[in-house]
Amino acid sequence: MIKNPTLKSKDKTAQALNYKELGDKELVDAAVGGDRAAFAMLLERHYMLIYKIAYQWCANKSDAEDVTQEVCLKLAKVLKSFDGRAKFSSWLYRIVLNVVRDMQRSRGRQNKRHIALKDITQANSPASQEEATTYSQMWQAVRRLPQKQCDAVLLVYGQELNHFEVAQIMDVKESTVSWYVMEAKKSLKGLL
Amino acid sequence: MIKKTDKLDMLKNAKAPEPSKARREQNLEAAMLAFDKEQQEKLKQKNKTFQGNIFTRRLMSIFNNKRRTFIMDMRIPLGGVAIIGLVLLPLALMYNSTTSLTGLNSPLGQTDQENKDMQLSEGFNKEKPAKLEERTRGENDGAIALDSVAPVAESEVSEMAVSSPAIQMESKLAQRPEPLGMVAPAPTTMDGQAGDKFSSEDESSLFITAQNPVSTFSIDVDTASYSYVRSQLENGIMPNPDAVRIEEMVNYFSYDYQAPSSANAPFMQSVEVYPTPWNEATKLLHIGIKGFTPELSERPKSNLVLLIDSSGSMNAPDKLPLLKRSFSLLLNQLDENDTISIVAYAGSAGVVLEPTKASEKRKILKALERLSAGGSTAGGQGIELAYELAEEAKSDSSNNRVILATDGDFNVGISTPDALKNFIEKKRDDDISLSVLGFGSGNYNDELMQALAQNGNGNAFYIDSFLEAKKVLSEEILGTLMTIAKDVKVQVEFNPLTVAEYRLVGYETRALKREDFNNDKVDAGDIGAGHTVTAIYEITPVGSSAISVDALRYQNEKPVEVSGNKQEYAFLKLRYKLPNEDKSKLIEVPIRVDAAKDNIADISPEFRFGASVAAFAQKLRGSNYADNMSYDEIEALARGAKGEDRFGYRAEFISLVDIANSLSK
Repeated sequence: MIKNPTLKSKDKTAQALNYKELGDKELVDAAVGGDRAAFAMLLERHYMLIYKIAYQWCANKSDAEDVTQEVCLKLAKVLKSFDGRAKFSSWLYRIVLNVVRDMQRSRGRQNKRHIALKDITQANSPASQEEATTYSQMWQAVRRLPQKQCDAVLLVYGQELNHFEVAQIMDVKESTVSWYVMEAKKSLKGLL
Repeated sequence: MIKKTDKLDMLKNAKAPEPSKARREQNLEAAMLAFDKEQQEKLKQKNKTFQGNIFTRRLMSIFNNKRRTFIMDMRIPLGGVAIIGLVLLPLALMYNSTTSLTGLNSPLGQTDQENKDMQLSEGFNKEKPAKLEERTRGENDGAIALDSVAPVAESEVSEMAVSSPAIQMESKLAQRPEPLGMVAPAPTTMDGQAGDKFSSEDESSLFITAQNPVSTFSIDVDTASYSYVRSQLENGIMPNPDAVRIEEMVNYFSYDYQAPSSANAPFMQSVEVYPTPWNEATKLLHIGIKGFTPELSERPKSNLVLLIDSSGSMNAPDKLPLLKRSFSLLLNQLDENDTISIVAYAGSAGVVLEPTKASEKRKILKALERLSAGGSTAGGQGIELAYELAEEAKSDSSNNRVILATDGDFNVGISTPDALKNFIEKKRDDDISLSVLGFGSGNYNDELMQALAQNGNGNAFYIDSFLEAKKVLSEEILGTLMTIAKDVKVQVEFNPLTVAEYRLVGYETRALKREDFNNDKVDAGDIGAGHTVTAIYEITPVGSSAISVDALRYQNEKPVEVSGNKQEYAFLKLRYKLPNEDKSKLIEVPIRVDAAKDNIADISPEFRFGASVAAFAQKLRGSNYADNMSYDEIEALARGAKGEDRFGYRAEFISLVDIANSLSK
């Protein structure tokens, strides 16, 4: 662990630099030990990642920001349960996905999907009309997949993670991830 | 891994718009406050004094400012999360012990929900140790920051609830109530058995010797049940009790019973009577039958037609690819006297390979390689085509067999199961038998496979791994391909003077009527070369404390004329036909009281191991009679009877007992 995480350095920049050099696990340990600055650094470092994950699953900006906020709040509470066996980012994926689920559950999801799709197609304005159609159809189809397949596809293709990481995030075997992806592809056959 | 042409790749182009800076600051600030509050709570726990007021108020004011409905919605459930967690943990336990054990033949419509139940219990099993570990770890960390450990442990509990698997599972449960217009796919191979179908059979019941002295059944050399149970256990799932067929579990193993010396007496029986490991007051009557093992060269020519399911559902690593590798194993066991043909149904339908000498390996392997899974299970004339080819390549002395390999999506051209059965039965009389190889899980239709194999003079295997393929298609290939005795029936007449009650362990689906025994028209199981078959009766000797049925008050039910003597427990009769004969032969053996062993340690490990498998299978089935033997005791019995165990099958069994033991806790 780090030597003096709570050290009251006079030179603030030196300390900030110090934190920047720390690994996620060390920051977590320090934060769990009560170090405010370490926690702030962690959030700083991963804010965009959290937001991006949230955006991929929610597919609209305001929901993504809500999820991000909730994740930030939740992190303060559950940071302790991160044990360093997986990468911090993998662990983060799990937290974000759980919050997304919670949120989707707490709302009626039927109309949300509709909005989400509109949102995402607009935000990405692909080149041709034809491409745009395939693109939005693809999203629509992916989102209709059974939840695990949908997660697997988004993690593998959307987030470009390798199967090992996805397996850790989804807490299943690697072969299961491959299987989800394969099943998903089968369902999406018409589009691929 | 990702192909260039993969259109799914376009998913990654979804660029998120820049998050709002203001929101970011708000979010970070809120998080810092939450962090502070958390620290405050810790201190509070430590000092047991209330200092956190100001922080709480500040935090609340932020929420009031923003009033994002989502957050407000969420704060309430999060507050109650500890309680939900506490409620859900025992629930998950209940699911684990009930759902996975009672998930009967589920129609596909229910699979989605059932599958989630499975995930719930499975996830719980898997996560539990990790969480416990986390908790201990958390306490250690806490000890650094704080003096007293006890309050930390308390806060740990509520935090565990937040991140506990139960709550994650709960949200997953709620996630997808509606299938959203798309066809719900079959549940996952890895963690589901919801689509697999098994027929539910009641446990063979106890008979009072005075009323029902005769027990008759057909032998069963199938082993599919054991492989299925194994694959489930290895995935951390308690198998569906209906999937457990005791006799198939016991018969999975080959036992070194005394072997016959020539093909004229195709098998040899060994009998032992010894104390029941799960009940002190009863005895086991253990009948072992060992089939004759001819030299490989004496094997009749084989005319095999592989009927391969290439429907879309076969497109999983443990299905079509495993099937291809399995058949290449089989190929190694054959030579130029044998012919092979391949028919596929669904996906790539039709004749894939006309009858070809097995020595033309490359041609056959190429044909196998060409198979690809895809398409729906559109009928086709699959099975009829297969039999036509078998007919074509048939010769007088050949062993003709259609080998059906499928995952259970059973659409081979004849639509009703009864019509299919009749068809196979008719072909059996034309000397073409049927073996069934089951692959994968998810929609494995065990019941139909059993019915088909039993009606087709064949056997059913469940191939869950390459090792299993090796066992069935390589090591025991002779038994699979060469029948040395057919329609083998067992009849045991118990002596009411010495045996008060008896029950047959397993063989529920194989019971025969008493009069069927001597009727050569009634079909029964076959024994392949080198096969061993085991049947076990649990008998309650007269005078034992275990007699469970009270005597009648108004009638004296003592058999009026008992001609028997007190020297014998029972009289064993075996009937069988030689492969090319239609008239059965009879073997008769008295089972003497004085031959019974008083101590289970006195009998050979071969018998002891069989008894331990029977005990395990009964326990998995939730037997009414053998449930009180603990997994530890079963393991100890099996361990002590491992014997030579050349291929490690028995060691594997022991590890399965161990898995079941930990799953049941």
